[in-house]
Amino acid sequence: MRLTQLLCSSVGKWSKQFSNLPDRYIERTMNQVYWKNPKGSQYKPNTEVKRKKFRFSVHRPWTAQFRQQNSPGKLYKKVFVEPIKDWSFFRGDRVEVLVGPDKGKQGYVKQIIEERNWVFVEGLNCTLKDMGGDKKYPGIYVKMEQPLLVTTQVSLVDPSDLQATAFEWRFTEEGDKVRVSTRTGRIIPLPASIEETIDYKSKATYKEQPKDTLADDVSEVTFQPALKTFQMDIMESMDIKDERVPLKTYWY
Amino acid sequence: MAAFRNIKSITQISKLFNNAVSNRTVIPANTVLAIRNLSTTKCLGGLMEFFDDEKNWGVNEVKTGKSWSIDELRIKSNSDLHKLWFVLLKERNMLLTMEEESKEETRLFPSPERIDKVEVSMDNLEAVVKERNKAYFELETGETGERKVEEIMGPFGLPVQHEQEEYLIPKHMNAEWQKKHVHDVDNADVKKFVRLYKEKEMREKRQQQTRDFNHVIGLLKRFPDMDMEALKAKYPDVDIDKAKRSRKCRGHFVPK
Repeated sequence: MRLTQLLCSSVGKWSKQFSNLPDRYIERTMNQVYWKNPKGSQYKPNTEVKRKKFRFSVHRPWTAQFRQQNSPGKLYKKVFVEPIKDWSFFRGDRVEVLVGPDKGKQGYVKQIIEERNWVFVEGLNCTLKDMGGDKKYPGIYVKMEQPLLVTTQVSLVDPSDLQATAFEWRFTEEGDKVRVSTRTGRIIPLPASIEETIDYKSKATYKEQPKDTLADDVSEVTFQPALKTFQMDIMESMDIKDERVPLKTYWY
Repeated sequence: MAAFRNIKSITQISKLFNNAVSNRTVIPANTVLAIRNLSTTKCLGGLMEFFDDEKNWGVNEVKTGKSWSIDELRIKSNSDLHKLWFVLLKERNMLLTMEEESKEETRLFPSPERIDKVEVSMDNLEAVVKERNKAYFELETGETGERKVEEIMGPFGLPVQHEQEEYLIPKHMNAEWQKKHVHDVDNADVKKFVRLYKEKEMREKRQQQTRDFNHVIGLLKRFPDMDMEALKAKYPDVDIDKAKRSRKCRGHFVPK
């Protein structure tokens, strides 16, 4: 497996979904190459020495804070993350906090960090952080949500009775995969904000930007199959005729 | 930006450039050539087309949609793809120019992911063109029509992927090629190297297996009620039952 694929797979799908950034950009910003194999005859061509272990915390991989946290030479103690089969907590889900000062309170999932099995619940499990203080000025306190583990510290809420419940993934008659409350057998629907990104609330309500191709132009079918290569077709449309006979050549 | 201090000189150069182009298009008047040289594209700003719209200078972000997907490109005609390629190429040139200029001016380059979006679109477009050409050649000649890649023996006694190239003389007559690409690997030094290299590869593989095994033990120790299916899916090569029997796996409590 190529390291780029490894890098890309290390950032979870739901962690980067809201940012709406292309994978290639995330990969490019995370990449830290320290040494590259010189070109030429090598027993291991195109080898790179680069950072393989990243520290994932509250900072997103494309931010400057992440780069600072993972600056060259910085190593951290290994974190054990419990493997999960299907990610089940999405932005906008109503959850109950099971631990801490806000135990028993319900809120909505605001942010997901899949690499650490973390979710942030809006307005719950907060700490106060002193910011901007110096010798003269004490600074101001900012209320910040702290991450919660999806495995033990939060629980989904059953929409029928608004109580915390265990759940499992099942298939409906139509073949859709749904979350079902094991206590009441009711389906816990996926929130509408699941496809929300920083650019749009839903795909249908996306506002076209000046640099975008219009949706009608994109969906217009102009392809007519013909027994031609791409180059032959372009030459024909531009009235270029090439009647030169190529020399006999050998490929090896 | 400082580059735009020289706007006057740049526009003058572009004026010259435009004149040169338009003079050339006027001369041939009879044949198809004349039609080809006559560009119907509106000339927007000459060399200033290498820079973004002035509204986007110094802003925090420039909103754009997603890149062209393969499915969206498959329904487009060859000439549409040809035109789109040059639109994308111009956009990429513009973005790279703006990135470089922002670096020089130590300013923020807004929305750098635009470069990736354009490059992904270009990759997808190229894939669609290759797909169409491949279909034609496979139907007509039974071959893909793409450059062949063969596995040959490299100088270190390890197989390497060799991309074939075009030559005017056959292989057996091309002494220069023979000298560069045919290696005598049947000697003691190469054999020793290959043996040691294989040994290193084996050792790395074994070390990785041990690391995975120990990691699974660490996971089992910390999360005894973990979903075993998920663990098996993540570490398919690890013998989980053996890991469970490990002394290191047990916590500091009396077993039930």
